[in-house]
Amino acid sequence: MIRLLKSEYLKTRRRFVFLTAIVMTLAMLAWTFHGSFKGDTLRLGWMLLLYQMPLANTVFMSLLSMIVASRLCDLEHRGAMVRKLASAIDKGKIYDAKLLYGLAVVLFAVVFSWAATIALGYYKGFWAPFPMKLYLFYLLFTAAPTVVIYILQHTLSICVKNQTVSFFTGALGAFGGMFALYLQNLPWLRRILIWGWYGALQFVGLWGWTKESRYADAYFEIMPFDWILFGVLIAAGAAIYILGRAWFKRKEF
Amino acid sequence: MLIRLLKAERLKLRRSPVWLAFLLMPVLPAILGTLNYLGNIEILSSEWYSLWTQHTLFTDYFFLPIMLGIYCSYIMHQEHLNHNWNKLFSMPVGRANIFLAKLISASGMVLLSEAWIGALFLISGYVLGMSDPPLGSLAIWCLFGTLGGVVMAAIQLTLSMFIKSFALPVGIAFAGGLSGLVFLSKHLGHVWPYSLMAYGMNSNSPQELIKSGYAQFVIICMVYIALFTIFGSVVASRKEMG
Repeated sequence: MIRLLKSEYLKTRRRFVFLTAIVMTLAMLAWTFHGSFKGDTLRLGWMLLLYQMPLANTVFMSLLSMIVASRLCDLEHRGAMVRKLASAIDKGKIYDAKLLYGLAVVLFAVVFSWAATIALGYYKGFWAPFPMKLYLFYLLFTAAPTVVIYILQHTLSICVKNQTVSFFTGALGAFGGMFALYLQNLPWLRRILIWGWYGALQFVGLWGWTKESRYADAYFEIMPFDWILFGVLIAAGAAIYILGRAWFKRKEF
Repeated sequence: MLIRLLKAERLKLRRSPVWLAFLLMPVLPAILGTLNYLGNIEILSSEWYSLWTQHTLFTDYFFLPIMLGIYCSYIMHQEHLNHNWNKLFSMPVGRANIFLAKLISASGMVLLSEAWIGALFLISGYVLGMSDPPLGSLAIWCLFGTLGGVVMAAIQLTLSMFIKSFALPVGIAFAGGLSGLVFLSKHLGHVWPYSLMAYGMNSNSPQELIKSGYAQFVIICMVYIALFTIFGSVVASRKEMG
């Protein structure tokens, strides 16, 4: 496996896969932190970010997963590389190695964005003490949907030669997920969409915000963690992995 | 010659259900936008105009640019595979025409999406019991949206011709869509190519296209389309693509 992972690294050299992840993460941070933080937003800063970041993750992390999976898998479709590789190595191991390498890239982006968010929070000078425990939960609830979405994108990208299939699935999914978060009056929507799980696992609620007073009377409350959905998410990830791996092993390239 | 190239483009896309995504994608904001309109009917009081903002929400900034990026990537990627550029360029057709045929093919898809978005908007409005739809405004939104989309398609095709990767131009389209939002918020949407589609569609962008700006909008779009078509054609004629 180590040799396979090393070969993945060699194959992606000068393909700027990590750079793509960094650029997209920076774009996400720029989107989140644009505008000025002052007064009430500085007071509520840490909680405000926990409330806002799931929406940014729905768009950016979903699309990053789509792009990274396609970058890593498309190169095997050229020149019938899968067929050549499969003559020497078990196809299941090829699937695993590419999945692990891709997961390392997207999880790197998740951790990078998490650390950068905290650093930027300190830089902006948020007043309240930093809630480390909540941020650790946020990291877990960001990483887990990203892993599941990546497994799905990886399976589509490696099993279907035509990359438009994985791209359109990813783009439509991210679109649906973003809408699901926006539509507060349809909470079931975010629970039935994999891409909506960033929002479904959100544990910070905003009350008292109005168009006129904005954040002046606003306050955040911690809602119960949805461990049932988290369990469903883990099960879905495992199921997509098992089915995807079996599909790849059976498929003729 | 161009007609034959267009037929060839259509043949290349046969049995490739990429058009399906362009049909599916607008259905999502139409359903969810209508539901959201119903949920916030006391705030969204401008009937058809409010419904339009809900239908086009996120579509112009994020998802139509991505869809267009994928489509342009796909039609150029076909030529990157198996040294197809060499085969294509050895045929007795002008290289400018090859680029133009691809641009017309992508433009057709933009027009299809816009028409579909418009049709879904009307259906939703009638289902909600509204009457007297603003047909004139809707036609302008969709046509100007198409024009702005063609600008984006011209850029994306040029990028996809340069870049062999399928994914990278799609990433650029996504970044472009985001930049479009930024430029619109700075009231520079009328000059930034990635803002033109959202600006033309007059969705809920911070910068609104008014009647007196129509001629300017059309001229800017035409200039961009000409510029990128010439650039793309020149690149195609000078570059070793194989």
